[in-house]
Amino acid sequence: MTQQSSGIFNWINTRLPISNTYERHLSKHPVPKKVNFWYLFGALASVVLIIQIISGIWLMFGYENTEEGAFASVEYIMRDIEYGWIIRYMHTTGASMFFAVVYLHMFRGLLYGSYHKPRELVWIFGMTIYLVMMAEGFLGYVLPYGQMSYWGAQVIISLFGAIPYIGESLELWVRGDYYISGATISRFFALHVVALPLILIALVFMHLVALHEVGAGNPDGVDIEKYLDEDGVPLDSVPFFPYKVLNALVAIGVFGIVFSFIMFFFPEGGGYMLELANFEEANPLSTPEHIAPVWYYSPYYAMLRAVPDKLGGLLVMAAAIAILFVVPWLDRSKAASIRYKGILSKIAMTMFIVSWLMLAWLGTVPVTALRTTLSIIGTVIYFAFFLLMPIYTSIEKTKPVPERL
Amino acid sequence: MKKFCFLIFLFLSTNSIIAAVGAPCGDYGECDTFKPQLNNIESLQLGALTFINHCYGCHSLKYSRWGRISKDLEIPEKILTENLVFGSDVKLGDRMTGSMQPAVSEGWFGIAPPDLTLVTRLHGSDWVYTYLRTFYEDSSKPYGVNNMVYPGAAMPNVLALLQGQQILSCKDIPIIASNGGVRRDEFGNDITEEKCGYLKTIEGSGKLSEQEFDDYIFDLVNFMTYVGEPSRSVRERMGWYVILFFVVFTAFSYLLYREYQKDYH
Repeated sequence: MTQQSSGIFNWINTRLPISNTYERHLSKHPVPKKVNFWYLFGALASVVLIIQIISGIWLMFGYENTEEGAFASVEYIMRDIEYGWIIRYMHTTGASMFFAVVYLHMFRGLLYGSYHKPRELVWIFGMTIYLVMMAEGFLGYVLPYGQMSYWGAQVIISLFGAIPYIGESLELWVRGDYYISGATISRFFALHVVALPLILIALVFMHLVALHEVGAGNPDGVDIEKYLDEDGVPLDSVPFFPYKVLNALVAIGVFGIVFSFIMFFFPEGGGYMLELANFEEANPLSTPEHIAPVWYYSPYYAMLRAVPDKLGGLLVMAAAIAILFVVPWLDRSKAASIRYKGILSKIAMTMFIVSWLMLAWLGTVPVTALRTTLSIIGTVIYFAFFLLMPIYTSIEKTKPVPERL
Repeated sequence: MKKFCFLIFLFLSTNSIIAAVGAPCGDYGECDTFKPQLNNIESLQLGALTFINHCYGCHSLKYSRWGRISKDLEIPEKILTENLVFGSDVKLGDRMTGSMQPAVSEGWFGIAPPDLTLVTRLHGSDWVYTYLRTFYEDSSKPYGVNNMVYPGAAMPNVLALLQGQQILSCKDIPIIASNGGVRRDEFGNDITEEKCGYLKTIEGSGKLSEQEFDDYIFDLVNFMTYVGEPSRSVRERMGWYVILFFVVFTAFSYLLYREYQKDYH
C-alpha cells in the first residue's frame, strides 16, 4: 500500500513540483530564530482570511441580495438557519479581528522597519492588501442593509461626488442608481464575494512570494543572510517546520481564546463592531443623528471630518493611506529597527501612536469644536510623522546594529 | 511587552471616555440597569403573555416565528395556539407579523407602530425597560401622556391601568457643595432646593404596586431581549466550551513548542 501510494506520489511529483514547493516554502524555509510576538500577526491574518472565506460562503447560502430581502435574510440566518448565528458572528467578529491583526502587523512593520531594503515590495503588496481590505470591509458593511449600512454608504459614495468634473457621473456609476437601492446592493454583493476576495488572495500570494524571496525580518534588523552555513542556509535561522509552525500554533490558540471570547460574549463589540443602529432596517427617509463608521475606519473618518471642505477631506484621507506606500523611501535610517534608531525616531513613533489612537476615538464620537481641533492636531501629527521622516531619520545618531541575531 | 500593555491600557481608557459621553435615556438621564435572565423560563413565559396581550395588537415581531417561541419557552403547542395565537389560519411555522395593517395604524397614530423584534438590540434592553416605566400624564399630548426617555412618543401608555397614574412632580434636593459634600446651614441642617421633573406614581391608582409593576415590566423586557436574539443563551453557554477547548489547545501547543525550542536555544 505504502509502495503503491509512494508510486502515485512520485508520478505526480515528477509532473507537479509538490515536494519542491513544500520544502522551499514550508518545511525547509529558513526563518530568523529569534523573533518576538509581534512576528505572529501575519500568520494570524492568514487564519482570519480563511475564517472569513469559509464563513462568508456559508452566509451566502442564506443571504438575499435585494433591497426588500437583505435585512430580513440576515435575521433569517440569525434565527432560522441552524447555528446560522455562529456563522454570522464569526464573519462580523472576523472582520474586526482581521483589521486588528493587520493593524498590529503593520505596526510591527513600522516598529522594526520591515519595509527596509530589500523588503520594499513585501511592504507595498501588504499595503495594497490593506487598501483592498478597506474596500472589502465597506462593501460588506452595506450588505445587511441596516440604517448604518445605508447612511454609511451614503457618506462614502457621496465622497466620489466631490471629485471635480467626473464626480457626479462616477457617483452614479458606483451606486448604479440615483440613490442607494437594490442595484447598489447587488453590485456590492458581487464585488464583496467575488471580485475583491479574488484580488485579495492574489495579493496575499504575491506578498508571501516576495517575502519568501527576501526572507523574513527580525526585531533587531539584522541581516541574517550575511552568515551562511556550508549549505547556504543562514546560521541564525531555523526551518519553518516544525519550529515556526509550533510557534504559530501557540499564537492561534491564544488568538482563538480572544476571538471566541468576543464572538460568544460581546459580538457587538460594544457597538464598535456591530453598530446598534444597524439593527434597524435601512430607511432613506430618516437620517440617524450620528453617523459613525466601525472602529477600523475611524482614524480616517476623523481626518475627513477635520477638513471643512469635502474634496479637501477626501484628499487628506486618501493621502493618509497613500503615504504609507512610500514609507520604504521616507525612512533614511541606517538601522531598520526602532531598537537601534535614535531618540528622534522614538519620539516621532510615540507621537504617531498617540495621534492614531486619538483619531480612532475621535472618528467614533459626534463632532464638537474641541474635537475638531483635536482631529486637526492629530491629522497634522500623523502626516508630520511620515513627511518629516526623511529628516529625522537621517540627522539622528543610530546605535550600531549587531552582526548576528 | 510592557509597551504593548501600555498600548492596550491606552486603548481601553479611550473607550471608557467614549462610554461617558451623552445621556442615553433622554430627559431621564442614565437608563435604569436591566440584567436579562434568559434562562428564567417562567419570566420569559410571563413576558410573552404580556407582549401578546398588550403589545402585539399594534406591534409585530416579524422576524420571529410562533414555533420557535413555543420550543424555546417550553410552551406546549396546544396551549400556545389556544391562548396566544389569534386567528385560526395561523400556523406554528408562521412569522409573528402582527394583527394590524400598517396602513390602518398609520392613519390612527400618524406613524405605523414599529416592529419590535430587534428593539432591545437597537436601543438596548436598559432603554426599553426604562422607557416602558417612564410614561407620565401630560394633557398637552394627544394621548394624555408623554414619556421621559422618548419625549413626544406617539404611543399611549397601554399599561396605565396596571401602573396607575404617574405624574411629574417636584422635590427638595440637597445642594452639593464644590467639595462634593452636602451644603449645610449653621444648625447643621442640609440646605435644599426644589427641583422638578421627577416621576411620581399616585398610590393606589393602579392595579399593581410599584414593585409589582417593575417586575411585570422586567418579565416583558426579558422576553423582548430573548426575541431580539433567541440564540443568546445558547451562545453564552457554548462560548465557555469553545474557550476551554482553546485553552487546552494553547497549553498543549505551548508545551510542544517549548520542547522543540530546546533544539536551538
